[in-house]
Amino acid sequence: MGAFHHSQPSLECLQPASPASPSPPPSWKFGVSCLWSMLGRGVKRKWSSLEVPEAEQLPNTTAMEDKRPGAALEESEEDRGDRRSRTNAGHVEQRQLVLSLCLEKLQQYQAGVELSLRRSVLLINTLRQIQEEMRSDGTDVRLGGVSPDAHLLRDDFRDDESVTCPGCTEGDTENLSPPPSPEPTDTVPTDLQKPPPNAIGHTFSDAGSAMGYLSDLALDDIFEDIDTSMYETSELPSAWAAGSLWPVSVSFWPDDDVKLCSSVGSLQSCLLDLNELDHIMEILVKS
Amino acid sequence: MAGPGGGSSDVQWCFSQVKGAMDDDVAEADIISTVEFNHTGELLATGDKGGRVVIFQQEPESKNQPQCKGEYNVYSTFQSHEPEFDYLKSLEIEEKINKIRWLPQKNAAQFLLSTNDKTIKLWKISERDKRPEGYNLKEEDGRYRDPNSVTTLRVPVLRPMDLMVEASPRRVFANAHTYHINSISVNSDHETYLSADDLRINLWHLEITDRSFNIVDIKPANMEELTEVITAAEFHPDQCNTFVYSSSKGTIRLCDMRASALCDQHAKMFEEPEDPNNRSFFSEIISSISDVKFSHSGRYMMTRDYLSVKIWDLNMETRPVETYQVHEYLRSKLCSLYENDCIFDKFECCWNGNDSVVMTGSYNNFFRMFDRDYRQDVTFEASRENSKPRSVLKPRKISTGGKRKKDEISVDSLDFNKKILHTAWHPLDNIIAVATTNNLYIFQDKLN
Repeated sequence: MGAFHHSQPSLECLQPASPASPSPPPSWKFGVSCLWSMLGRGVKRKWSSLEVPEAEQLPNTTAMEDKRPGAALEESEEDRGDRRSRTNAGHVEQRQLVLSLCLEKLQQYQAGVELSLRRSVLLINTLRQIQEEMRSDGTDVRLGGVSPDAHLLRDDFRDDESVTCPGCTEGDTENLSPPPSPEPTDTVPTDLQKPPPNAIGHTFSDAGSAMGYLSDLALDDIFEDIDTSMYETSELPSAWAAGSLWPVSVSFWPDDDVKLCSSVGSLQSCLLDLNELDHIMEILVKS
Repeated sequence: MAGPGGGSSDVQWCFSQVKGAMDDDVAEADIISTVEFNHTGELLATGDKGGRVVIFQQEPESKNQPQCKGEYNVYSTFQSHEPEFDYLKSLEIEEKINKIRWLPQKNAAQFLLSTNDKTIKLWKISERDKRPEGYNLKEEDGRYRDPNSVTTLRVPVLRPMDLMVEASPRRVFANAHTYHINSISVNSDHETYLSADDLRINLWHLEITDRSFNIVDIKPANMEELTEVITAAEFHPDQCNTFVYSSSKGTIRLCDMRASALCDQHAKMFEEPEDPNNRSFFSEIISSISDVKFSHSGRYMMTRDYLSVKIWDLNMETRPVETYQVHEYLRSKLCSLYENDCIFDKFECCWNGNDSVVMTGSYNNFFRMFDRDYRQDVTFEASRENSKPRSVLKPRKISTGGKRKKDEISVDSLDFNKKILHTAWHPLDNIIAVATTNNLYIFQDKLN
């Protein structure tokens, strides 16, 4: 055995060998950015984050060749002065990536191991910050477009057996147009022509439909006879998932969803089965 | 080659020893999770993910090589914590040792506190180098003699034996923390200590295990309103009524236990306003303080956040008096570091004996020293390649620009799996202990 040496993964060897990259799962596609990634311990690398600064090694995803926001993004982070003005698209795209990563990390759940409270709090604060920014940007973060999605938020959702949000079934998630394209809904009149699902709304539609499904389950009844008062739950997912994370999304829903808010309130007293939630998310994003 | 340290810039850091397996395949249980010198520096304790504590002892200076301080050799190894299962929540409690703190020595035995996520234990480490011989009723091998064969009586005498070091748990402080313990700190009164988890800080008496006082509680009534957690806490080195705790939002609160029983109202709050130019989605995450350490003098404290080390004067709350960038070249890579979770890494930091130099770790097995007096900083690497005995460490340079000079390492080729989170500095001499993932490196000043 030779001298101890570190095998330093250089940037080049992180790239896929074949030029034809498989298309990423739909939910992450909109998060594609040109940031290169490094291998982290035990973390699965996402296709969405692969990119090379060098021009000759652009992966063969057609949509990316148009924009090259990645290189611009790299510079923009360093070139602070121009960041906001010049690379708005890049900033929004990064925001999208961070948002999707945030949600992905919050879903991470290793059975039997308690989540780190610090990490969860930091993730949720980041999520809140992004949502605030999106809200102040005027981005309509509600569902992509689609009034069909709105029905997920009603209590009579139980009639609809399918938990797949219509946004997913539309299948047009290959679109990489810039996210801030608010969909025409009944409350926000925009002169928007783009029919494809709003990428941001897509994420929230997942959340919304998951929530709708869960509220439908009447979890209160299931857990009625379990006395949870004797211990505090330091397990963040229960508290967060039942509570603040969803209401934060809920705040973007139209006002007539007060009913949903109350059902969220009932959720707060339930223990959420995270495995079930994962399963739901899987169904929704078809991944 | 000169480097910072010890008040002069003439310190030459040399490799001294490396402990641990040489395999590239790291067993999870061998991952070092804490490193701590005792108050004289004679003992060096490490804790690992497998719940074990290994204590090294410095050999006395040899007459042959008076310039070399003694080597550290294994003194005692014991299993401090075992994995547990919380049946109520269906969760495993890791046996990983989060922190070790030595008690000041009062008698022949040594005492240390070690903690995992939930339970703190007080261990007594004592030496046995004599044993009684000449019992009347027992043979030397322990078999009992036939009483009828005993015709004379003698007094057993103590005879020397091979040194045996025994570690025994003297106290177990359990069931006081709902959340994960991140810090323990022994008070200067040598009678009490604090333990801090994400939301609460408890005060213990070393003799009393069945109760503790809660002195800080930041848990909101509604957990959904939680936005900030406690990340580290430490007692002041001299003032037994003063302690500080840091938060995930980059603030440090100094509390005086004389003010009230529950120190939720801080006496001072240290926070530096955010630089608006550096604002990003990751601003809060990188501002989260991962370690706070008082200087030996008690006049300053040092905090470590993701990208920098800050020195605070306890008399000034508005901003740190010194700020040192550990790896500023990572600022433009924050999104990737967020993606691979490296942005959540918790680096520790430490002072040298006379508070003139501070040290902290980085990636690629690099560690950094900042000389406060001479305003110099240096980067070294802990690797087997530089491990010839008494070879002088060569400063490393990271190239951030386009052109990479010879011997420089480009940011893109840094190995983010190789992180140095735990470092410790001998309280009196220029000897440092640096923990890579599963190896412990000891470096010394050549002139020692």
